[in-house]
Amino acid sequence: MPSRRERKKVERPIDVSRSIEESLEEAASGEEEEDVVDLADLDDASAKEVVAAEPEHPASDLGIRLRDALTTEAPPRVEARPPVRHPETDVDLAVDAARGLRLRNPVLTASGTFGQGTEYAELIDVSRLGAIVNKGTTPVARPGNPQYRIAETPSGILNSIGLENPGATEVARKYGKQWAALGVPVIVNVAGYSVDDYVYVVAEMAGTPGVVAFELNVSCPNVKGGMLFGCDPGLAAEVTRAVKAETDLPVIVKLTPNAPDVVAVARACEEAGADALTAINTVLGMRIDIARRRPILGTGSGGLSGPAIRPIAVHITYQVAQAVSIPVIGAGGITSAEDALEFLMAGAAAVQIGTATFADPLAPLKTIEGLAAYVREQRLGSIREVIGAALPRG
Amino acid sequence: MILQPGRILETAEIGTLGTVVRIAAPEIAAQARAGQFVHVRPGTSFDPLLRRPYSFNRIDRQAGEVELLVKPLGPGGEWIASRRPGDMLDLLGPLGSAFVVHRATRNLLLVAGGTGVAPMRVLAEQEASRRNVTLLMGGRSVGHLWPSDRLPPSVEYVTTTEDGSFGITGRVTDAIGPLLAWADQLCGCGPWPMLGALGRLREQAERAPAYPGRTPLIDAQIAVEQHMGCAMGVCRACVVVTAQGNARVCREGPVFSLGDVAFDEGEPATVGILA
Repeated sequence: MPSRRERKKVERPIDVSRSIEESLEEAASGEEEEDVVDLADLDDASAKEVVAAEPEHPASDLGIRLRDALTTEAPPRVEARPPVRHPETDVDLAVDAARGLRLRNPVLTASGTFGQGTEYAELIDVSRLGAIVNKGTTPVARPGNPQYRIAETPSGILNSIGLENPGATEVARKYGKQWAALGVPVIVNVAGYSVDDYVYVVAEMAGTPGVVAFELNVSCPNVKGGMLFGCDPGLAAEVTRAVKAETDLPVIVKLTPNAPDVVAVARACEEAGADALTAINTVLGMRIDIARRRPILGTGSGGLSGPAIRPIAVHITYQVAQAVSIPVIGAGGITSAEDALEFLMAGAAAVQIGTATFADPLAPLKTIEGLAAYVREQRLGSIREVIGAALPRG
Repeated sequence: MILQPGRILETAEIGTLGTVVRIAAPEIAAQARAGQFVHVRPGTSFDPLLRRPYSFNRIDRQAGEVELLVKPLGPGGEWIASRRPGDMLDLLGPLGSAFVVHRATRNLLLVAGGTGVAPMRVLAEQEASRRNVTLLMGGRSVGHLWPSDRLPPSVEYVTTTEDGSFGITGRVTDAIGPLLAWADQLCGCGPWPMLGALGRLREQAERAPAYPGRTPLIDAQIAVEQHMGCAMGVCRACVVVTAQGNARVCREGPVFSLGDVAFDEGEPATVGILA
């Protein structure tokens, strides 16, 4: 048993694209990974149990095996389950979605459209996703906006939910364990009204199991002052810097298309230490109820999402990708692998799927499968080869 | 809850109420309960984008079939209502909470308005052989009423129309008095003003101990409607205010205890934060 030394703070990227076994092997042989050596001392099966929080055999089964082992000569054979194969298995879809954040594939779910990940886990295998981004989390609980909160538009929806969420402490308490069991990296979407709000949420969520990065929502159009930080390069930089000082995890800033100069905001965030940028949040919009002669949404205006905004999002991704050297995560109306490829070729290192999931809960998984098929058909070494393929050369 | 394509077996227009669509969906039928709903994709593209929620109008577990009452409202509803036998529908369900009829209930009163009759028909079929069931339904005119030949014969059917074209002239609240004195339990579904009126009757019953409809009103369950997004509980578009705080119609609802739902001038009460 190696003695436990004071853990040195080591700058190392979080790599969730590799299997637990690979990580453990490296941990066992590596010099700098002291904090996981204890795990590697355990035998394979129990180490897997500790890390995956998913025992290979139910407890009752273990009891039977123990009893059998004590009463019979030959130990019972434990049959290994064949690994589940998916269309993306054996295809290199891994990407660096942010500085220090390698994901198994470039398909993420967008904040506000995937709850805390546990809801859609009842329907789809969320562990196949690159990562999930949780619902915008504020320092304290928010009841959200008055009805109506949603309205359909051509190829899109307008929403004005108002960041209804139970607050950072409750989110960390309630979902930490569940996130660890989901088997998918979680990016916490952080929202607030002041620099202190953002720092508070990040501090409160620190150490929550499953959390691999923070995404700063400096661009919510549906709460008072929500968009302020995202519209002003100076304020965006200030909040980025403050959060970077609070956490060692990668910090992603979600840009708003409603800013007068998105590229300036992007550059300011990069200079302030952002590890990636998400482009884009929703576009401000409105619908009028002609029978009642007033806006449909309770707050009047709302955020437009869905395929209707895709060309806007691709364009901003294309501009921002050329202006910064950190990864850009494309978002806005993606419904398929073809849509995702547009963003990747426009310079995005990863994509988020949001509104499409409401219509087709399988859209994120179909997109992963489609990207894998594309890599195969095009005989690429990895999906990374198409990132930025449509950007001007030189 | 599952995501499953269902094959349309039959469609039938019901006056101006909507179109009944009968669908083969064995796994959904096996799990479905009265009050729950299915989220139907209105096409194969993303325009219109949002799925449409429809309460089960009939659940036939043995045949593996469900029926939905589809109002051809807007492009999504029109698309679904215009499907033909043999066409497939992309179904997500069953979703949400269900009505609970108590074992001790002898006299069950069902109150329906508009397409809110959908889950009331399921309850009528389910409960007709177990206890006395009366369905009270209101509509603008006779064309907005559910046809009596699509109800079990043992169910008593009382109707009101606003224009007096059939049954009692007025609204369900004008005819409900004697039925409240008779019923042990009430289940209702309809437009918000109707539910709001039931809510007011409940408040009166709570204040006046001698109120004849005290028991069924205090115990009443209602299924509510709200503009809905994901129906998976993630987007929080469909919340209503309840005694327990914000509740999602798609998860905690659509069936709530009448006394738990907060009303404001006959409409659902709404949270107060303005951006």
